Amino acid sequence: MKRREFIRTAAAVGAAAISFDKLQAAVNSSTVAIETAPDLVAVMGGEPAQMLERGLKELGGISKFVKNGHNVVIKPNIGWDKAPEMAANTNPELIRALVEQCFKAGAKKVTVFDHTCDNWQKCYENSGIKAAAEAAGAVLAPGNDESYYKEVNIPDGVQLKSAKIHRSLLEADVWFNVPVLKNHGGAKMSIAMKNYMGIVWDRKYFHANDLQQCIADLCLFHKKPALNIIDAYRCMRKNGPQGRSLSDTSLLKALIVSSDIVAADTAAVGLFNQVETMDIKEVGHIAIGENFRLGTQNLGKLNVKRIKLN
Amino acid sequence: MKTNILKVITVAVASIVFAVLLLLFCDFAGWMQDFPDLARIQFIPALLRGSIIAVVSLILMTFIFGRLYCSIICPFGILQDIISWFTRRGKKKNRRRLWFRYAKPQNILRYSILALCIISLLSGTTALISHLDPYSNFGRIATNLFRPVAVVLNNIVSNVGEKFHNYDIYHVTLHTHEIVSITFAASVLAAVAVMSLMRGRLFCNTICPVGSLLGLISKYSLFKITINQEHCTGCGLCEKACKAQCISSKNKHVDGSRCVACFNCLDRCRENGVKYRLSIPFHKVPAVARPSIADRAGRRDFLATGVAVAATLPFVHTLAANRHNGIIDETKLTPITPPGSISLEHFKKHCTACHLCITHCPQQILKPAKFNFGFSYLLKPHLVFYEMAYCNYGCTVCSEICPNGAIHRLTSEEKQVTQIGIAEFDQSRCVVFTDNTSCGACSEHCPTQAVHMVDYKDGLTIPHVLPEICIGCGACESICPVIPVKAINVRANEVHKIAEKPVDEEQKAVNQEDLDFGF
Repeated sequence: MKRREFIRTAAAVGAAAISFDKLQAAVNSSTVAIETAPDLVAVMGGEPAQMLERGLKELGGISKFVKNGHNVVIKPNIGWDKAPEMAANTNPELIRALVEQCFKAGAKKVTVFDHTCDNWQKCYENSGIKAAAEAAGAVLAPGNDESYYKEVNIPDGVQLKSAKIHRSLLEADVWFNVPVLKNHGGAKMSIAMKNYMGIVWDRKYFHANDLQQCIADLCLFHKKPALNIIDAYRCMRKNGPQGRSLSDTSLLKALIVSSDIVAADTAAVGLFNQVETMDIKEVGHIAIGENFRLGTQNLGKLNVKRIKLN
Repeated sequence: MKTNILKVITVAVASIVFAVLLLLFCDFAGWMQDFPDLARIQFIPALLRGSIIAVVSLILMTFIFGRLYCSIICPFGILQDIISWFTRRGKKKNRRRLWFRYAKPQNILRYSILALCIISLLSGTTALISHLDPYSNFGRIATNLFRPVAVVLNNIVSNVGEKFHNYDIYHVTLHTHEIVSITFAASVLAAVAVMSLMRGRLFCNTICPVGSLLGLISKYSLFKITINQEHCTGCGLCEKACKAQCISSKNKHVDGSRCVACFNCLDRCRENGVKYRLSIPFHKVPAVARPSIADRAGRRDFLATGVAVAATLPFVHTLAANRHNGIIDETKLTPITPPGSISLEHFKKHCTACHLCITHCPQQILKPAKFNFGFSYLLKPHLVFYEMAYCNYGCTVCSEICPNGAIHRLTSEEKQVTQIGIAEFDQSRCVVFTDNTSCGACSEHCPTQAVHMVDYKDGLTIPHVLPEICIGCGACESICPVIPVKAINVRANEVHKIAEKPVDEEQKAVNQEDLDFGF
């Protein structure tokens, strides 16, 4: 909400000299030329890069988030040794486009990493993300070794009071959470909140100590992503998070972008329900996240922009 | 001074071979994965693999040139030369006047060992040859002792690289340490170091079954070291240089069965009487005089070393046992052998525990066995699933790298249906049952969905295993959060089977036009 308020105030102060009344009326009726950025943007019907560009444009462009000289981290889901069309990992073209956008905005360096489940080199390689990200100038950081992680306290966590988090993320000026939309055997859905699990070293602790609670606890980590960019170009309908074959996937050609992680996941579950039934109540971590005031499930309260590209 | 050109060439070739093999065994990043050839031409691996071409070539090479194999191909032989180089024993200029001198051949000993090795191989076990094969011993020494050093150096470099945002050299943590294996490798290294420092190629000429076998051929080789009886003054300079201790200047004779073709003696003779040249085999050789009492010292050295090594065994034994805080995982009473190893029996017949697969397993799940599977499986690799490490679904590295034919080459597709074991689920230990919380980590990691989640209660799901599509990769076991013994464990198939392929459903096409946001 802060951004909107800031724009309103800035615009109001600047315009006050001319005609305060007129502007106030304009702001109230939302017809003012300085349009307020939406809280959530969903784009459908394009290629990943195209949808990303459009989504970011609606939010005011990448330069609202990435400043000159920034050290940027992108955290896709690269958990599995699977080809891009299996939708087990984030779409490499989306990552390539995002890296390019970051550099365009003046980023000094862009680092991409995930703590993979399968062998990390194979995951980086076969997901296509290594090639795509490196082609755009990013550096792939390994997440395979405990030495890359540093203990961070999560004071408000219920089950998870601290976690070892990847150092590149701790050192970043800004980071983007870029999950793929997937069904998940354990957590029911793996979207933006679940994607956080790849920033920590010890995942087993999560499984042993109430998975849903731990996922939400981890999202309390003080450094929030600038945006959650959910890749739903191809989603994994079932047998997630790995999938067994192409029949587990569906081509949705969609993208959801929001800084509100709960809203983003809620919207993504809604989209997911277009191809496979999933009761959002079963995805326990989303409701816990809302209770933690990490965001809202009530999309009606938000300024949501839905765009269909043709 | 004349240049000993043969010596220069052998040292050069040996250095390259040794360097490549050392890198192959110290590799921790898969750099050397595509270059296992020098391991594949080692005698015992080639023999066990059944490579007629390699074995015949090696025998032919020995028949023509003598035991050149021991000088330029065998990494264990080269290792001994490197060790003895430090004391400069036998070198022309060594201040401490350390020379070699002729020793009587230990024929009974070496041929008995050779016979025992052949008998045990024929009876279908590599239990004996594993501990005597020079190549495998080198492999274990490099993997267990040198590789950790390489990793430490790597990590120092990687820490520097990270400061410059470079991850080309990345941090590695080794998980393949096994104290029993390290103890064995260190003991062998210590024993062979003592032997080589004192007596040159003593190991090669008394214990090594490959050396003994090739010695039987090199005795009659076409090219060999000869002493010109007329030129020889019996000064003993050539004998002093001979690390195989096979030149008797007294008898003006070279024991071709023990000469390892190192060519150290060639440039020593002032009369130019020592030559490496074509000489007709089966030519009469002068009788060898009985050795003096002093010559028998070697036998005592050897026995003492043997006793010392044997004495460490009970100590090693106490370190063995497959326990987690006193609780035994009863599914691990038989070893899980790598995919491609066909069966436990096949594996035991072919693997000599060189640890090349252990070095190259990207997941570091291949570990040397302790005594828990018996002496016949000692130090051989078996799969151990630990935190977040399991047999990667499409990975076939061990099957490509194994030089012994113990692990047969598999394609990625074949590997994905090779059932090396089957997961067994114990509900009474599962966190869904004990804590009533979601987990599903096992199913999440299962590449075939043999472990899948079924309805349990209160919206919770619990794992269920379909054994016919399980391949025993251990993904489920590795991630299961239950300790000390997991709630889902892989039990080895003693004979590997072909798993059924998971059934694919029809792909559900989505009509883009009708698709809505859904929120």
